[in-house]
Amino acid sequence: MKRYLGDYAFIVPFLSIFLIFLAFPVFYAVYLSLHRVEDLYNVFGGLRFVGFGNYIMLFKDIRFWWSLLITFYYAVLSIPAGIFFSLILASLLNNRLKGVTIYRSAFFLPYILDVFVVGIVWTFLYSSPYGIVTRLLARIGLHTPGLLSNPKTALPAVVLAMTLKNSGFGMILFLSTMQNISPSLYEAAMIDGASAYTRFRHITIPMLKPVILFMVIIGFIGALSAFAEFYATTGGGPSVVVAGRSLGATEVSGLYLYRNFEALKLGYAASISFILLLITLVFSYISSGIMRERL
Amino acid sequence: MKRFFLYLLLTTLALIVLFPFIWMLITAFKPEPEALSLNLFPQHPTIQNFVKVIRNFSFGRYFLNSLIVATSAGILATLFATLAAYPMAKKDFPGKKFLFGAFLSSMMIPGLMYMIPQFAIVSKFGWINTYFAMVVPHLANVFGLFLMVQYMKTLPDSLIEAARIDGASEFRIFYSIIVPLSMPIIITIFLLTFQFHWNNFLWQLIVTNTERMYTVPVGLAMFRSAHEEMYALKMAASTISIIPIAVIFLFAQRYFIEGITSGAVKG
Repeated sequence: MKRYLGDYAFIVPFLSIFLIFLAFPVFYAVYLSLHRVEDLYNVFGGLRFVGFGNYIMLFKDIRFWWSLLITFYYAVLSIPAGIFFSLILASLLNNRLKGVTIYRSAFFLPYILDVFVVGIVWTFLYSSPYGIVTRLLARIGLHTPGLLSNPKTALPAVVLAMTLKNSGFGMILFLSTMQNISPSLYEAAMIDGASAYTRFRHITIPMLKPVILFMVIIGFIGALSAFAEFYATTGGGPSVVVAGRSLGATEVSGLYLYRNFEALKLGYAASISFILLLITLVFSYISSGIMRERL
Repeated sequence: MKRFFLYLLLTTLALIVLFPFIWMLITAFKPEPEALSLNLFPQHPTIQNFVKVIRNFSFGRYFLNSLIVATSAGILATLFATLAAYPMAKKDFPGKKFLFGAFLSSMMIPGLMYMIPQFAIVSKFGWINTYFAMVVPHLANVFGLFLMVQYMKTLPDSLIEAARIDGASEFRIFYSIIVPLSMPIIITIFLLTFQFHWNNFLWQLIVTNTERMYTVPVGLAMFRSAHEEMYALKMAASTISIIPIAVIFLFAQRYFIEGITSGAVKG
């Protein structure tokens, strides 16, 4: 054992942070989700055990189910949009053109900039009546009260903003995979008389499948963790009335979790986070199964 | 002809993707009433918005806080990942597989899951409103460790063996062989961590509640809710907050791009 002490010494700083702030919290979240805060001035001192009380409440909570629905809606819109747009960018860049790196940088830059700032800028673009998007839409005859104020357009508007911001990431992945596809595959197909479309459909797409699957998984985890993009733009609104209840048209689960946290319903918020974790695990399990089958 | 259309298409798309930032910049140089106009070129260009944001709304202070948090977190997280990666990549010791598995599986967990327990821990430590609260919980950068291990595995073992035969201590091997050879990935991980912390909004929002400790995004959030209609000022503040990352990207983009590519492809 002694001869390994040196090895462990190298790992100790990383490991201690990992244990305290990443491993322990997973178990602590479960513990918290079985408790309720009693004393608002001594939040963690006065926890009362409530068993599955929070989960039972959650099960009956329409606002929670709604937030899950909105989260899935966000995932269903944003994942294909992101894959589609980054695939277009990558295909355009995958030509022997001069100055390609400048375009690559231009498309990639927004990805590393702050979501919150990007959200604020888009809120300005979408604002009514002076926002430039609102005014340009009015010029072509589409008069809107601001895309973010309309329950039907608010979420797609956020998706558009985030797709433009984040596509640089997918683009880089697609591009580096495309550049690794052997040119002889295309040459052989060309000799057989395959059209550009056929080559793209039957050579490029199959080679890109692992990247697409990776982006679906990342996109899904991203939707379950989505917070800043909505906090910065819609704040969860505008409100819609569903079955006699007023709900937020863009209140994703991450935002609902934060609202509970803000109200110091920590146990309840923790139970939401645990459900989100379970959904992620089930989803990752299923998609890694698909990945193994198809490869 | 085909080339011309490709360039045209690429340029149009680049303008669309960058449009929000271009518009933000233009608006930041307009006086407040003009901010509502669609002028591409400000009729009365001014830098007053920037002056106001820094002087009257203490964005200077937020900027300093962000810089302290992002730099110290970047340095420490990279150091911890580099240290841990060396035995993970180059040695065999009991529990290595288990540790690596545990580290990797934590990457599957949505970030929001950590928020409440981490907040509880940080409050118990009495760290609310301190740099500790903003930095320490994120010092175990699992993704960074993973990239680092992948990279170090490609370094030749013969160098390490030779140094060991010469009687070099493990620590000496680490800092005189491993670290210099791993410099590209070390820079990449520093930059990615710096960027993560500069942009980290939710966590810093919940662990600070005095203006003195706000970082740029948190300051921006507070400013926004207090001054709903001051678009030019908001755009000036937004510009200030993204400048550092944009400048770093300009000079070091290959590190960002390579880091992300290698992580995803090997992952």
